[in-house]
Amino acid sequence: MAAPLELSCWGGGWGLPSVHSDSLVVMAYAKFSGAPLKVNVIDNTWRGSRGDVPVLTTEDNTISQPAKILNFLRKQKYNADYELSAKQGADTLAYIALLEEKLLPAVLHTFWVESDNYFTVTKPWFASRMPFPLSLILPGRMSKGALTRILLTRGEPPLYHLREVEAQIYRDAKECLNLLSNRLGTSQFFFGDMPSTLDAYVFGFLAPLYKVRFPKVQLQEHLKQLSNLCRFCDDILNSYFRVSLGAFSCVNRNEQQIDFGEVHSHDSTTCKLIAPDWRHLSCWTRNGRCKSAETDTTCK
Amino acid sequence: MCLLIWLVIDIFLPCVPVSTAAEPWPENATLYQQLKGEQILLSDNAASLAVQAFLQMCNLPIKVVCRANAEYMSPSGKVPFIHVGNQVVSELGPIVQFVKAKGHSLSDGLDEVQKAEMKAYMELVNNMLLTAELYLQWCDDATVGEITHARYGSPYPWPLNHILAYQKQWEVKRKMKAIGWGNKTLDQVLEDVDQCCQALSQRLGTQPYFFNKQPTELDALVFGHLYTILTTQMTNDELSEKVKNYSNLLAFCRRIEQHYFGKGSSSIRLS
Repeated sequence: MAAPLELSCWGGGWGLPSVHSDSLVVMAYAKFSGAPLKVNVIDNTWRGSRGDVPVLTTEDNTISQPAKILNFLRKQKYNADYELSAKQGADTLAYIALLEEKLLPAVLHTFWVESDNYFTVTKPWFASRMPFPLSLILPGRMSKGALTRILLTRGEPPLYHLREVEAQIYRDAKECLNLLSNRLGTSQFFFGDMPSTLDAYVFGFLAPLYKVRFPKVQLQEHLKQLSNLCRFCDDILNSYFRVSLGAFSCVNRNEQQIDFGEVHSHDSTTCKLIAPDWRHLSCWTRNGRCKSAETDTTCK
Repeated sequence: MCLLIWLVIDIFLPCVPVSTAAEPWPENATLYQQLKGEQILLSDNAASLAVQAFLQMCNLPIKVVCRANAEYMSPSGKVPFIHVGNQVVSELGPIVQFVKAKGHSLSDGLDEVQKAEMKAYMELVNNMLLTAELYLQWCDDATVGEITHARYGSPYPWPLNHILAYQKQWEVKRKMKAIGWGNKTLDQVLEDVDQCCQALSQRLGTQPYFFNKQPTELDALVFGHLYTILTTQMTNDELSEKVKNYSNLLAFCRRIEQHYFGKGSSSIRLS
């Protein structure tokens, strides 16, 4: 436990600590269980690998999939499920299976297969975090992997056309969201007052869907109608990820996400965020607005 | 020839305006699966047994017919499928919906939260148990060599038997890789099976069925898989040993076997 645990994962945006579902699951679980994780965000240097993200590195070994990482953290006594009964533990496994079978295909489709979303949002975002020439190859490969997964698990006859598969997976995803909403009801977390593994998984899958701004948004619209799930995501973001610098976001007049620490310009004037204390946000603009996600300041 | 006929039916059937709810369940409903003795594999046997158990629980008569080309006759490529009136429906999920449209349902008495739980547990069984069965059958070299290849290709002459078996193996391995099971070892798969059985055992507790007094489609599905694992002879007994660790699951299987399949003594061996 004295050894540092380092997690390398994809970075954040749109108010989230990470836009990648698996990375978000691990980060959320670490916050819930109090595990001290050092988060290394993947950027466009050649440092670190990009396959199998998120990856937990300890002194002795590296562990890659979210389920295995969570198992490892539990063995290190960082257990968020300590207070659950045996039946609740069993329910956790069942609901995670439900998420992976019913919701994940539609989330993958929204991010990686739907061409408007992929070309305007996902690909530029991921490509900006990979060094050239990986940025030309890897997003395409990730997209193809997502499509293959969807087709192999759901695209069996008699659904011969991708469009029919799409209709089916979105139907299943909406049903899954409704089931989750029914199960959550009015409680704060899925099992009482303390968050557990299931909350980490649900948060990991739902938060990117909820917050990332896409052109084609049918699943997002459905999610926004389920107010208790939206409240669930916002609660976790505010309680556990509020002070994280990665969650800070700046939006310029063209509604483009600017990352913390970056110097950006619009209308030929410069707007600069000063690290590390975001309160000293200063900007010089002649027209247009530089908006802080926290304080909503408008600079003149 | 058979394939052509089914292809034609596939194209024209959706255009026929049949009201499924209006017709009662006929006496001559049939369930098709592969040949029981020589051909059928663990996962298909489990699926077929689950559907049979479900129909028994609904008190609907069904005749089981074994055909070597059942997989190709099925509209979705999966067995089992049922032929009722002039409708053909395959796999447990759609069959449950179909039976519900005819007015029979096992899960009407459940409230919304229980229905969500039931669906979640059914996904757990599909996600872990079924995938583990497929892994054992097609990705474990010992089992593939000794049992699967021989059984899968048995109705066909050489070289078709080898070609079809290799083709199916390639398809299954591709799927395993896509869902992240490609790099798993047999021990990890067995651990997953153990975790799944533990979850099922904890959920069942001391109740007779998963949702107390009445069986539902979840009970049928769990019975289908566990009973098949317990009674099928594989190259080693590790899979069935994992299930045997949980006595309430064994009792559950025996109870359903005796109640719905009318066997005087159970075929589940303990040793």
